Amino acid sequence: MLTRRKLLVLAGTAAVLTGLGLPAQAQAPDSPAAAFVQRTGEELIRALSQSPSPEARSQQLLQVIDRTVDVDGLARFCLGIYWRRATPQQQQEYIAAFHQSLAHSITGRMGEYEGVRFAVGRSAPEGPDTAVQTTILRQNNPPLQVVWLVSTGSGTPKIIDVQAEGTSMRLTERSDYTSFLQQHGGNVQALIDALKRQAVQQG
Amino acid sequence: MHAKSPWVFLAAILLAGPLLGCAARPPASDPEALEAYSQTNDPLEPTNRFFYQVNNALDAVVLKPAAEAYRYAVPRPVRNVVHNALANLTSPVLLANDIMQTKPRRAGDTFMRFIINSTAGVGGLFDVATGLGYQAHDNTFGTTLALWGVPDGPFLFLPVLGPSDPRDAAGYGVDIALDPLTYIGQGAVVTDLKYARYGVSAIDERERVLDTVDQIKKTALDPYATFRSLYRQHRASEIEAARTDEPRSVPAWFPPSPAQPGTR
Repeated sequence: MLTRRKLLVLAGTAAVLTGLGLPAQAQAPDSPAAAFVQRTGEELIRALSQSPSPEARSQQLLQVIDRTVDVDGLARFCLGIYWRRATPQQQQEYIAAFHQSLAHSITGRMGEYEGVRFAVGRSAPEGPDTAVQTTILRQNNPPLQVVWLVSTGSGTPKIIDVQAEGTSMRLTERSDYTSFLQQHGGNVQALIDALKRQAVQQG
Repeated sequence: MHAKSPWVFLAAILLAGPLLGCAARPPASDPEALEAYSQTNDPLEPTNRFFYQVNNALDAVVLKPAAEAYRYAVPRPVRNVVHNALANLTSPVLLANDIMQTKPRRAGDTFMRFIINSTAGVGGLFDVATGLGYQAHDNTFGTTLALWGVPDGPFLFLPVLGPSDPRDAAGYGVDIALDPLTYIGQGAVVTDLKYARYGVSAIDERERVLDTVDQIKKTALDPYATFRSLYRQHRASEIEAARTDEPRSVPAWFPPSPAQPGTR
């Protein structure tokens, strides 16, 4: 009886020490999209950890983002119904401003991702795209469940949305932009100017 | 008399707020704008925005400084202990909601977490149960109502309480009524302790989102709309997680048998 209880306590301690609740680190990706997310994650971590200066780090980070994220598509999505209401010139100007804004918000939070680790979980089709589950582990933070929406339609896989703990980045951004536009009488130029102002303030 | 004036002012804005009116419904000639309007489902937007401003002002002078002082004065391990203790105290309400949602797995997790953390975790100060495979989850009566088929209704930004909807606001009241600690004990000390718990838990929650909230306010063009969207999405995913919790799967802590691969 006593030995049995001792065993249970031992097993419990071992479980605590090894973090039994966490998904296995080395799990084979179950789809091309999952393999793509695995590769991209490794590239991002390498960009964050290897470069010596913060400038070089953010430069490398943005290169990986540009290659793996469909930023133009994301920009179009975030403008919602106002995309078609904008003039071609506004569309171009807006996409450039969106790239800037995304770059700033990513490099601005670089410090939070020091020593980050991740594990790719299951993937499942979501409409024409694939949703890949990952668990992000950061120091002093509870594990974060993040889903990466990957589109494979164009031949090369691209990330089209990031959903952290059930909140979608592109949906949140779209409601931010469209609400701003509603407050400003649907004037897309006002949004472009605000994005540019923000980039200057944060830059 | 003089000391009462802030309360009179607060009462005045609480009463005047709802009179600010409703968001203008777009004309039927603009179907896209009309669809956006019904998707946003925020007919009380002007009033909600007003209370968002009020809460922001209150937060800037009361809650945020308190949370920052708490972060500055109390080291992280101690803050974690405080958080664990507060979380453990919510177990009865969690359990009641797990049961009302007929989710035996989640109810079992909550029950075991309460037993393990209250004993091995020294009265809830340490979260031993998570390491043993009993994962923490959140639950409210708002979620219970959702699983019972009650719709969420329009978005509400409540004074002091923040983003909500009629379903979650009602759920909040029921959760307080479900909490045994609401009824336990009597006397001035117990009453003070109860209020202290609400106060500490508000500071604890605010401290945990200090950086996130700052980041959103800095990067969002319309922080109100961003918080509205985040709140809605967060609640929808919590409700979905409760709804799709699979009661017959093998618990995470159960040793996998080689002959019969489990679903986990």
